[in-house]
Amino acid sequence: MAGVIPSRIGAQGVKSRRAVTEPLWVRSLLITLALLFIALVLVMPLVLIFTYALQQGWAVYIASFTEPDAVSAIRLTLITAAITVPLNVIFGVSAAWAITKFHFRGKNILITLIDLPFAISPVIAGLIFVVLFGARGILGPWLIENDIRIIFATPGIVLATIFVTFPFVARELIPLMQAQGSDEEQSAMTLGANGWQTFWRVTLPNIKWGLLYGVILCNARSMGEFGAVSVVSGHIRGLTNTMPLHIEILYNDYQFTASFAVASLLVFLALITMVVKAIIEWRTQQTITTITDDTLLLEK
Amino acid sequence: MTIEAKNITKTFGNYEALKEVSVTVPSGKLVALLGPSGSGKTTLLRIIAGLEQADHGQILMDGRDTTDASARDRRVGFVFQHYALFRHMTVFDNVAFGLRVKKRAERPSREEIRSRVMELLKMVQIDWLADRLPNQLSGGQRQRVALARALAVEPKVLLLDEPFGALDAKVRKELRRWLRRLHDEIHVTSIFVTHDVDEALEVADEVVVMNQARIEQVGPPDEVYEHPANSFVYHFLGSVNLFHTRVRDGQVHLGDDVLDVKTDGEEALVHARPHDIEIAREAENGGWLKAQVLRIHTIGPIVRVELLRADDQSLSEAELTRERYAALRLIVGEDVFFRPRASKIYSAP
Repeated sequence: MAGVIPSRIGAQGVKSRRAVTEPLWVRSLLITLALLFIALVLVMPLVLIFTYALQQGWAVYIASFTEPDAVSAIRLTLITAAITVPLNVIFGVSAAWAITKFHFRGKNILITLIDLPFAISPVIAGLIFVVLFGARGILGPWLIENDIRIIFATPGIVLATIFVTFPFVARELIPLMQAQGSDEEQSAMTLGANGWQTFWRVTLPNIKWGLLYGVILCNARSMGEFGAVSVVSGHIRGLTNTMPLHIEILYNDYQFTASFAVASLLVFLALITMVVKAIIEWRTQQTITTITDDTLLLEK
Repeated sequence: MTIEAKNITKTFGNYEALKEVSVTVPSGKLVALLGPSGSGKTTLLRIIAGLEQADHGQILMDGRDTTDASARDRRVGFVFQHYALFRHMTVFDNVAFGLRVKKRAERPSREEIRSRVMELLKMVQIDWLADRLPNQLSGGQRQRVALARALAVEPKVLLLDEPFGALDAKVRKELRRWLRRLHDEIHVTSIFVTHDVDEALEVADEVVVMNQARIEQVGPPDEVYEHPANSFVYHFLGSVNLFHTRVRDGQVHLGDDVLDVKTDGEEALVHARPHDIEIAREAENGGWLKAQVLRIHTIGPIVRVELLRADDQSLSEAELTRERYAALRLIVGEDVFFRPRASKIYSAP
């Protein structure tokens, strides 16, 4: 049997490819359109950013990062990401674990809630926190009394970023963990492992690539988030500006070179993210292939 | 270790998986839970393992109540239907897992783990695969790894969920003989779930037949096969010819034949296996039924003859040896006589 099936699929593949394929001019047209679109929307802006950034030479380019406001913006962005990403990893893993390994009431509501930040405009996300923690907000008077600053300060920026990037890790893990099932965890349990050992020795190694993928997306978004952060930040130079906000301020001040220089840093981050993402996707693809291979073998 | 399940009931939503099931598994025996899918056999196994909680009832191990003990504390070895090997670990690490997660005080040294694992792999005859990953193994090899892994922690009970279900017919036969031999060597109380009658009858010391969330019969394979407790068990264990009859004054009337029975009922069903049907050209004494030969199939060493009864146009099936078939020289379409050589009578449901 095993020898017959692949060859049959192969034969069908060849036949159907011929039957399904469009004429040459349609193919050329579609491919040209796609390439043009990519050039216009993706490649050109990238090239322009670097062109403008380097317009006045390296000295100005480097100086754009080293002036105090820029340093402060970069530092705040890194701090935000450093707090956001680990917290969202913990939330994401716990949520995915709870959803895929247990049966409980309200599971579907939880899944929908995890998607909420994707559905809501980031500006509204920011406004929610202003309404909650702002000077005239629900908790405002109490916060002022106790001298705690959240809005127009780092905690507000971190909160808004956490909210916006909340779904990334969980969204990445839920389908993966659903596909893997909980048989391995159960067998670890019958072999005497406790919950902690099961998680570290069995669950985590199985989800590590998916988790890393989620972390990278989460990190990219937390560094690049504009809308929600813009609402809660207050745009205090050298204090509550993150990199995207700093870029906007520079641009509005007609400091185009500096603005594009800082922007090029974010672009760099994006490019690195995409390369790592591509590598990880390739790795996860391999894991999934082995899962399907397993199921095929079982069905045989 | 003796395992007792007492009045186990389990429901999933509206679906009743087990209804008041009680069964005792004697120490050191190899027991099969046999039944069609949905009969509750896997649920019972998982409840014994502690992977599922019963709604009511108790699990006793050596008389000790373990109903509320977690799966980790029950010291059962569980072999999953799809093996559930740790896919990112080598065969060696898979088998060593149970030893490595022990508390520091109980954990054997590295060398002890090493020699214990290799010993187990040797026992299941795959020591040469120690460095492979699970996805580099065949189904039969994975099954052996799963078994070695379960045995590594020296469980008092070994539970196997459809252990050969995912294997092809040849490997299946080989592995089940091997499991039987292994059990004869190590004598750990074992329960396995199967829907394959041959497997249960060949491997087990004791067979528990289940159907629709209940236990229908418990007994040694021969006894269960020779004396099925009811019509369901009879049907489940093999092909059946049914003859509708009535009980009159404590007697069953089949054709011209009269059989004495103890129970009195409105209607009774005579059950007979195809290989217990004999065919003749002449009806010598009573009890023969007239029929027409409808079809003849030769399947390996046996010949299957389909018969259409003359009196009520019902179909029956007889299995003859090739010798008997050759002696009879049956032709499709001709009229013959047949009767059950051996049969069981159950009242109609």
